[in-house]
Amino acid sequence: MSGPETWRRWALALPAVVVIMLFSILPLGVVLVYSLLTPGDFGNVKWIFSTDGWFSVLFERNIFDDTIGLSGANLGILFRSIVLSIVTTLITLIFGLPTAWFIATRPPAQRNFWLFLITIPFWTNLLVRTIAVQEMIRSEGVFNRILLAVGIIKEPIQMMFSDFAVLLGMTYVFLPLMVLPVYAAIEKFDFRLAEASYDLYASRFFCLRRVILPLIRPGVIAGSILVFVPSLGAYVTPRVMGGGKSMMLGNLIDLQFGQGRNWPLGAALSITLTALVLIALIWYTRITSGRKEQSHD
Amino acid sequence: MLDIRGLSKRFGYGKGEVTALHEVSFKIAEGEFFTLLGPSGCGKTTLLRLIAGFTGPSGGSLVLDGKDIAAMPPNQRPVNTVFQSYALFPHMTVGQNVAFALEAQGRPKSEIDPAIDKMLTLVQLLHLKNRKSSELSGGQQQRVALARALVAKPRILLLDEPLSALDMKLRKDMQIELKRLQRETGLTFIFVTHDQEEALTMSDRIAVMSGGRVQQIATPRELYDRPANRFVAGFIGESNFLSATAKGGVVEVARARIALPDVADGAVTLMIRPEHVVLSANAPDVLQLEATVAQLVFFGTDTHVHLVLSDGEKLVARVQNALHGGQTLNEGERITISLPAKALRVVRDEEIAA
Repeated sequence: MSGPETWRRWALALPAVVVIMLFSILPLGVVLVYSLLTPGDFGNVKWIFSTDGWFSVLFERNIFDDTIGLSGANLGILFRSIVLSIVTTLITLIFGLPTAWFIATRPPAQRNFWLFLITIPFWTNLLVRTIAVQEMIRSEGVFNRILLAVGIIKEPIQMMFSDFAVLLGMTYVFLPLMVLPVYAAIEKFDFRLAEASYDLYASRFFCLRRVILPLIRPGVIAGSILVFVPSLGAYVTPRVMGGGKSMMLGNLIDLQFGQGRNWPLGAALSITLTALVLIALIWYTRITSGRKEQSHD
Repeated sequence: MLDIRGLSKRFGYGKGEVTALHEVSFKIAEGEFFTLLGPSGCGKTTLLRLIAGFTGPSGGSLVLDGKDIAAMPPNQRPVNTVFQSYALFPHMTVGQNVAFALEAQGRPKSEIDPAIDKMLTLVQLLHLKNRKSSELSGGQQQRVALARALVAKPRILLLDEPLSALDMKLRKDMQIELKRLQRETGLTFIFVTHDQEEALTMSDRIAVMSGGRVQQIATPRELYDRPANRFVAGFIGESNFLSATAKGGVVEVARARIALPDVADGAVTLMIRPEHVVLSANAPDVLQLEATVAQLVFFGTDTHVHLVLSDGEKLVARVQNALHGGQTLNEGERITISLPAKALRVVRDEEIAA
């Protein structure tokens, strides 16, 4: 490759590089720097180096005897975030896979209609959607009113501000992110292979396990990542559905930058979240890259 | 062993209803190499899919070893298929593909492993056992598909145009290979093809299909020598058709006459194969006609002589090319030709309903 040719390529890539530097790498750098400073009295930071922010992610100092222990509150929220994200991913998979299968097996002319239905919530504001779900399950909400009116229950069931509520909200919000990539994988699936497996004495379950799932795996993994990553950093949904009782990492970070006035801790938590997402993505590329060459025959 | 009774299949409903198969009935014997032959859309693949169980019949029954299997799902029928697209599982190795049927049946590993090796040896692919099936050539994929379908010892092996994706040379090899496999395993094969040559060289019996009906079921020799109707005569090999009128056992074509047995009075169609047309006058018991040589087409082993009769009807004769030139014909030359009575067939114009 000649010199000017290479230069031209760099020049063409420059705008994108500048945008990424300005709006992605640079802010991340700022957050990283903030995580190594001292909290200011009214928020913000003092330009004094300190590792307290990082220290507080996992540990806490007992204010009475100055002993160091694991930070139960932070670890609890971190743990809950990971568990809720995994469960959300599993639930969206359990609901999304059959949905995607249904759409992919419709006549081609009808598929766009079903896909449109799936993506409608996408065109609605996240907050509005989440509050709509809240409206369904709150104590004076639709479900409780119906159950009360029918006489199945005497007292309204308390469903809001719990892990259940957060899960319900997140499942609803992220379901399309699972359905779309799984649908794309199933649409490419050669149904003659399923026919061949039935011909070779496979039961429906055997066919699903040995033929269909392995072949649509890239779509399932892509969908899982697309659901897991935003779940981990979810802010609006746990805030609306979980309140202060069922916090997730996003809310904890918000708290540090707001009422907590501990920007270094908030910054350190943000970096932790980014690292978790990165680990998930590396894992994703690991398990998919080995399958690239056989995805097309 | 397989008894097909009045099997029919209709697709769609109301005005859009299409009948793919019109009450087909015939029997296939144990160990037979049976071929369903016909142009695309004749219903042969529909019939094969009905036997495999991928679709249910609209009427009739399908009796295998005395048991009606028409309502049985494909994974319970002792019938396996070699698909036109092979449909090998792309994420599995050759060995895993072959093992699939036995694993699906829940056989123990101690039984599966030797069975795979035996099947792969039979199709001469043991050395590729651990290859991904997507890394194989077309001919090799074909063999894996065969091994995969044979491993569970089906009562019937169905082959859906299995050779159509292969090139000419490989196709000839696989034809011989398939015949060998069938002889070695003693299995009943039902083979679907639109290639008449393939059908003639491989089959014990052939069912010629057209328009969702069976036109004729016979051995290759019989089909070629005594086609039941004009469709079969035209589809199997090359044929000349001459319109004629019959009266009292004598047939008249272009003012020439010949006595033929069992001819009904009225307008009839005579059929003769190109290789049976004799380009000379001196032969006993022949229909002798005047013709003009319109065109000579050289084919290597033989030459096709396109002739025009005095009444404008066309006829093709096939002459084998002799080593040293032989007789010389020129385009535009007027000659006398003979159609031997033995080679003339009276064929029905209409297709028969099965």
